[in-house]
Amino acid sequence: MFKSFLAIIEGTKAALQAIRANAMRSALTCLGIIIGVAAVITVVAVMQGFTKQINDQLADMAPDVTTIKPYTTPQQEMLGKRSYLTVNDFETLKGKVDGFDTITAQMMAFRFQGAVEYKGESHNTRVVGTESNYQKAYRIYPESGRYIRPQDDEKRRRVAFIGESLIEKLKLPKNPVGEYIKLGGEWFRIIGVAEKQGSFLGFDQDDYINIPISTMQLLEGNQRKPYFQIMFRLKADVDEAKTLAQMKRILRQNHKLTKDEHDDFEFETAEKARENIDKFTGSATAITAGIVGISLIVGGIGVMNIMLVSVTERTRIIGTLKALGATPGFIMLQFLVEAVVLSLFGGIIGLVTGYGAAAAISAIVPGMPDAYIPMWAILLSFGFTSAIGVIFGLVPAIKAARLNPIDALRYE
Amino acid sequence: MSVIALNNIRKEYNMGEQTFRALDDVSLTIDENEYLAIIGPSGSGKSTLMNIIGCLDVASSGEYVLQGKPVKKMTETELAGQRNKSVGFIFQSFNLIPRASALSNVMQPLIYRFISAKERQKLATEALEKVGLGDKLNHLPSQLSGGQRQRVAIARALVTKPDILLGDEPTGNLDSKTTNEIMALFDELHREGHTIILVTHEQEIAEHCHRVIRLVDGNVVSDTRNSEEKTYV
Repeated sequence: MFKSFLAIIEGTKAALQAIRANAMRSALTCLGIIIGVAAVITVVAVMQGFTKQINDQLADMAPDVTTIKPYTTPQQEMLGKRSYLTVNDFETLKGKVDGFDTITAQMMAFRFQGAVEYKGESHNTRVVGTESNYQKAYRIYPESGRYIRPQDDEKRRRVAFIGESLIEKLKLPKNPVGEYIKLGGEWFRIIGVAEKQGSFLGFDQDDYINIPISTMQLLEGNQRKPYFQIMFRLKADVDEAKTLAQMKRILRQNHKLTKDEHDDFEFETAEKARENIDKFTGSATAITAGIVGISLIVGGIGVMNIMLVSVTERTRIIGTLKALGATPGFIMLQFLVEAVVLSLFGGIIGLVTGYGAAAAISAIVPGMPDAYIPMWAILLSFGFTSAIGVIFGLVPAIKAARLNPIDALRYE
Repeated sequence: MSVIALNNIRKEYNMGEQTFRALDDVSLTIDENEYLAIIGPSGSGKSTLMNIIGCLDVASSGEYVLQGKPVKKMTETELAGQRNKSVGFIFQSFNLIPRASALSNVMQPLIYRFISAKERQKLATEALEKVGLGDKLNHLPSQLSGGQRQRVAIARALVTKPDILLGDEPTGNLDSKTTNEIMALFDELHREGHTIILVTHEQEIAEHCHRVIRLVDGNVVSDTRNSEEKTYV
């Protein structure tokens, strides 16, 4: 134990001395490792920042809302068929199923994908047709004015509830309630403005317009099937499995599906959305890890190269140490430790650089969350760089240990 | 009592297809507290003999018993242990570690004895004081003169308290005044009971020792004892 400890101290001393004596060379040697670790840390920091923000946001968004979306099986997709949900589905569910805390629907129509205009200003935004319960489901609070009411929907009024960003984008007055904007070629009166939500993943959450769903349907006409989704939240005391089964039955009936046909709709919870995001960040991290692995191996080869040079340079010293009684094992351990210290030196520089880069990215890119480095990433990079040091230090260390003392002493 | 017993030692090197015989058939016994010089023309095998005595090299054939222990069957690690405990090396070109202080250089062999840092420092300081460098502990080799460097090397050889000191042309790189100083130091160490073996080609050094072995072409051609001791002044 004490023997190894002494060898480790000797190796560390020698490594620090070598790093100090050849600072430039050591930094260049470690470049691969520095870049590798910096890349890991940057990506992890940014990704973790994202994930953290996503989780925070999902937590205070509407995690309890379940969305029913149309689902097209791959087979149907190949036949050029698409599945749709309809207002009829929404109405049936609403009428037949008890136990909704709230149920609402949203619709996106082709006609409204163009720009919205106001006094010569124009801007592309997200126009969603919906109805009064949407406010309850997504907890929307008007900053001024009011949200869409059932009467707006019944009477197919041309009214619009807008996100806060549109005031700036369209140069609307401070309180735009009562102003008219042009949507899909029709004039709509602004009835309310939502409270500011801020941006999420660089995505402006206040850049949208809600109009009554029936108005949208009327204007869209029957030529095209609009994209329709149903969102609901169950009451706390309702048997969820049973209710979901009932809803599925109703939808299958509505769509006249036979027994062996697949559901042409799917239920998506916020939990599931989070899983999808996790899957995405997970694979992004895995891809980066692969790239980083390569750069670390290149870095390791750099370390091996310089250690081989170092062993050759110090041949005479190694010979002297052997004459003084250093065993092959001691010499080997000492050089291994030196390689590990050199790698770790690169690892530390990489860590600092990576953190700096991540901080810079989150500072420069708007809407980017703060960089966040989890402890495991730090431990992992140190573990990995140490492993690189051991693996790539092995060949030079064995070379040093095996030197013949006489030849080494004679080496010029 | 003999500390070194060599019996029919032969050392051969393979140089491509040819075999070069550095030592042909050397038998030699060296007793405790001898003061011995090995001389001979270059290529006569004196350094090879020194290396075998110091366990840096092993003979191709023959028996070598160092302090009662046969060296033949020792592993590389055991040989390292012998080099550390039984002998102290002093080289012509000092072979100090350039970036380490005099003190660190002298402490080095004690590391392989696994002695605590505090004890190492104490022993190394004592050894440096003994060779008259008590005031140069933290000097780097480059800040010392040739004679001082060789004193550091001698302190390094002494610090493990070996019985045998091996000098391979220890004064070869020194001027005559410094040579005298270093030889005076060897005299003192001899008086204290060390066995001293010096490889040299300087007649004066050889005459100074008490016993002179002359090698030619890998064989001992003479083994003489100097009748009167000369003292360096």
